[in-house]
Amino acid sequence: MVTDLLRFAINYALSKGARYAETRYHLNSETSIILRNDRVISAGITQRRGIGIRVMYDGVLSFTSTSILSKDSIREAVDKAILYARTFTNRVKAKRGLGEAKFGRAKYEAIALKDFDSKPMDVKISELKELWKIINKSVKESKVASFAVIYSELCEVKELMTSDGAWIQSKIPRVRTMINFVLAHPQRGTAQRILDFGESGGLELVEKWRMNEVLEEEAKAVERVLLKGVEPPKEPIDVIIGSEVVGLIVHESAGHPMEADRIWGREAAQAGESYVKMDMIGKERIGNEHATVIDDPTIPGSFGFYLYDDEGVPARARYLYYKGLINEPLHNRWTAYIYGVESNAAARATDYASEPIPRMSTTYLEPGDMSFEELIEDVKLGVYIKNYMEWNIDDIRWGQRYVGLEAYMIRNGEIGEPVRNPVLEITTKAFYSLITGKTKDLRFHPGICGKGEPSQPVPVWHGGPDVKLSKIRLGVAPR
Amino acid sequence: MKEQVIELSKYAVDRAIKEGFEEVAAIVNYSRRTMVKFANSEITVVQRWADFKIHLYLVRNQKILIVEGLGRNREDIDKLVVQAKDRIKFIEPTELYAPLPEPTGKPLTNLVDKILIEETDKAIEVVNALIDAGHNEGAEKLAGTLHTGYRIYALVTSKGAELAEDKSFIQVYARAFKGDISGHWAWASTRFNKNAIVEVGAKAGRYAAQDYQVVNVEPGRYQAVLSPLVFGNLIGYVARAASAFMAMLGLSMFMKIPPGNVIGSEKLIVIDDPHEVMLPEARGFDDEGVATFKKHIIDKGIFKTFLHNSKTASKMGAKTTGNAGWIMPTAWNLIVEPGDMNEEEMIREIRRGFFILNNWYTRYQNWVEGQFSTVTRDLLLYIENGEIKGLVKRLRIADTFPNLLKNIIGLSKTRYDIQWWEVRIPTRTPYILVDNVMFTKPEV
Repeated sequence: MVTDLLRFAINYALSKGARYAETRYHLNSETSIILRNDRVISAGITQRRGIGIRVMYDGVLSFTSTSILSKDSIREAVDKAILYARTFTNRVKAKRGLGEAKFGRAKYEAIALKDFDSKPMDVKISELKELWKIINKSVKESKVASFAVIYSELCEVKELMTSDGAWIQSKIPRVRTMINFVLAHPQRGTAQRILDFGESGGLELVEKWRMNEVLEEEAKAVERVLLKGVEPPKEPIDVIIGSEVVGLIVHESAGHPMEADRIWGREAAQAGESYVKMDMIGKERIGNEHATVIDDPTIPGSFGFYLYDDEGVPARARYLYYKGLINEPLHNRWTAYIYGVESNAAARATDYASEPIPRMSTTYLEPGDMSFEELIEDVKLGVYIKNYMEWNIDDIRWGQRYVGLEAYMIRNGEIGEPVRNPVLEITTKAFYSLITGKTKDLRFHPGICGKGEPSQPVPVWHGGPDVKLSKIRLGVAPR
Repeated sequence: MKEQVIELSKYAVDRAIKEGFEEVAAIVNYSRRTMVKFANSEITVVQRWADFKIHLYLVRNQKILIVEGLGRNREDIDKLVVQAKDRIKFIEPTELYAPLPEPTGKPLTNLVDKILIEETDKAIEVVNALIDAGHNEGAEKLAGTLHTGYRIYALVTSKGAELAEDKSFIQVYARAFKGDISGHWAWASTRFNKNAIVEVGAKAGRYAAQDYQVVNVEPGRYQAVLSPLVFGNLIGYVARAASAFMAMLGLSMFMKIPPGNVIGSEKLIVIDDPHEVMLPEARGFDDEGVATFKKHIIDKGIFKTFLHNSKTASKMGAKTTGNAGWIMPTAWNLIVEPGDMNEEEMIREIRRGFFILNNWYTRYQNWVEGQFSTVTRDLLLYIENGEIKGLVKRLRIADTFPNLLKNIIGLSKTRYDIQWWEVRIPTRTPYILVDNVMFTKPEV
């Protein structure tokens, strides 16, 4: 029935004068539980499903959606979409089109080895409650001032059809757990950590994550930092950036500035522009030979996994930066047309009510060939920033700041005492130019990437190895 | 349409009670919205949505389940209720449980502007005049958004609430560029106002057309004038921290500064005013059917109250403040009381500091300590002894909220109604003059 409605929507839009029509049935379902300490405080079920329709009419792109799955509703939505597009045909400088691409006709699914229903909810809750016991056993001198767990099971089901011949059906289950804890000490204040686990798949992931062990290690580490953390050295030093921070850095300073719509200016009033200009692509360098950043939607299990994008284009790895060169931006078909290239399948839409725009999936720094011990062995005085809490970057993706949470001094090639709140504030060019070593250990971390208006949060992974930067001056967060 | 929305809510409550739920609340939200996005002074996409959203609050044996779905008929509700009946078996009693309160709220009237409903195509066409106004002020290109729509919101509870409210809204913002300089402005209302829409483009254009040399400024502590865009963003974080639920989750600076304690300067008064009918989140009843009312969150620098629903209030031994959210209380419309300065006077007051037009990407290092940073964007001017010395490229405010709020030394007489991508809660705020703010920037 949905397929018939999608086909109807396309035919109706074309009959009304649209040059291109694209329709997507999109279901997002979520079951979530929030615990405070070892008590449930909220449980919820969300189901959002509807049909999104996008048309190109006389060079103007118009998007509409309806949660009412009927021909009448679709007819009304398309009529309005074309009416509003017609209002603005004089406000498009050049008549816009959509870039060439190959289109898929396929059906795929990320397999959950253990279905969400394979374990009763009360058992899942009792397992999550264990975390409260774990953290209290893990800390010695500080108090757990606050503890919360948010557990979610998500599923995204889509059927996409376009007037250019794409027809894709897909199903992606996902699981996510976030743990927030605050440790407090009467003299040393508080320290806060948010742990995030997220992948595509089923309940097998929860076992794989070993959350009890990870929480124990993390709580002990944060307590050490809270009780014994010292200020970082004031002079320029070698800094080792842990994979979790590296992942975020490449997301913010390679992924976002390489979104083709942002480079063109389409997001200028929201998430901003990019330091990258169209004429820099394939010509200018942003870093040294270590600076290869890849975005790949096809990595199995990744949080932002897909095999065809939301315009029906087959997904592939994109080398955003290649050995320091600004190489290939993330395109949907609208930007591909402007740039005169083929789409590289970065179009993603959060839900049925969202237009597909260029987005990241899994963005990571290509790993190197060193062990962690080799990476730090010649560091006489340095700091290792393993993870972070605060971060931000300016609206052209140039000046950025990451404030370490778990961090340590390095003295003569050995990890030393904890460091509290070291601040890495650096430009994109400096980060990618000052890399002098990378471990071979590639690790990924989940996140929810924000972009678009209305806001379109999408699940992503970002990752990388541990990285050495030479001679950087660290700051310290004000208290 | 309003009757249909109430009818659907009543059906949901009746159906859920028949299925054995002891307490039920149902919200059906109908909305029709249109958004025009523009960039490089051309239209990039027109978006239009029409939705019926169903929200159910279901209680059995003190277990609470929140269900959200889409649909416009009884069959859609039946499916959600059946699914919930199955799921609630496996959930345990909720720590937050408190009985649904008696309904005391009444719908506000005078929240609908017919132009926004019946002449949407004419309303959105004003984008053309907005773009032209920005160009006329000297901008080379503009980007932005006009978002308008109509909403019906119906609430029925098993405690006897049968309430419905409808309203129109419009939210406009624009960013104008001239060379390396950009300006930004925003406006939001429940009413159509062509002049106000066009002024968004004109004001963004005027800010972009400022002609100063770039100067280099070292990191350190400075004075600053924060525009309504900046303070609207920052006070939104403070209002979220005032939600009792955020404090319960360990995500609030008010865990350490409970009601009755000083959070800011004596000059600072922040009010949640759901009865300000010109601001888009005006409403007469909250999600539990309780009457909303105007309340001080911060009064002369003192943190006055957490924002509560009946559950967080019961947990903390307080009274609901009419800010439900079934689970999380939220502020409706934020009002910052004005001061006695004009904007030029604020600039003249600065010995060494900045005028900051806009900011984004505010993030916490520690929510409990209120330790944060945020990045400036758009026009940033360096001022010495009351004189503008030049333009500065992006800096970062890195401080704590308690420091920032305590260091407020002046507020402008004139206030502006702001809502945009980085100011989610509609906010009426003046320009703010702050002392001793920490600024940082990358060394390399």
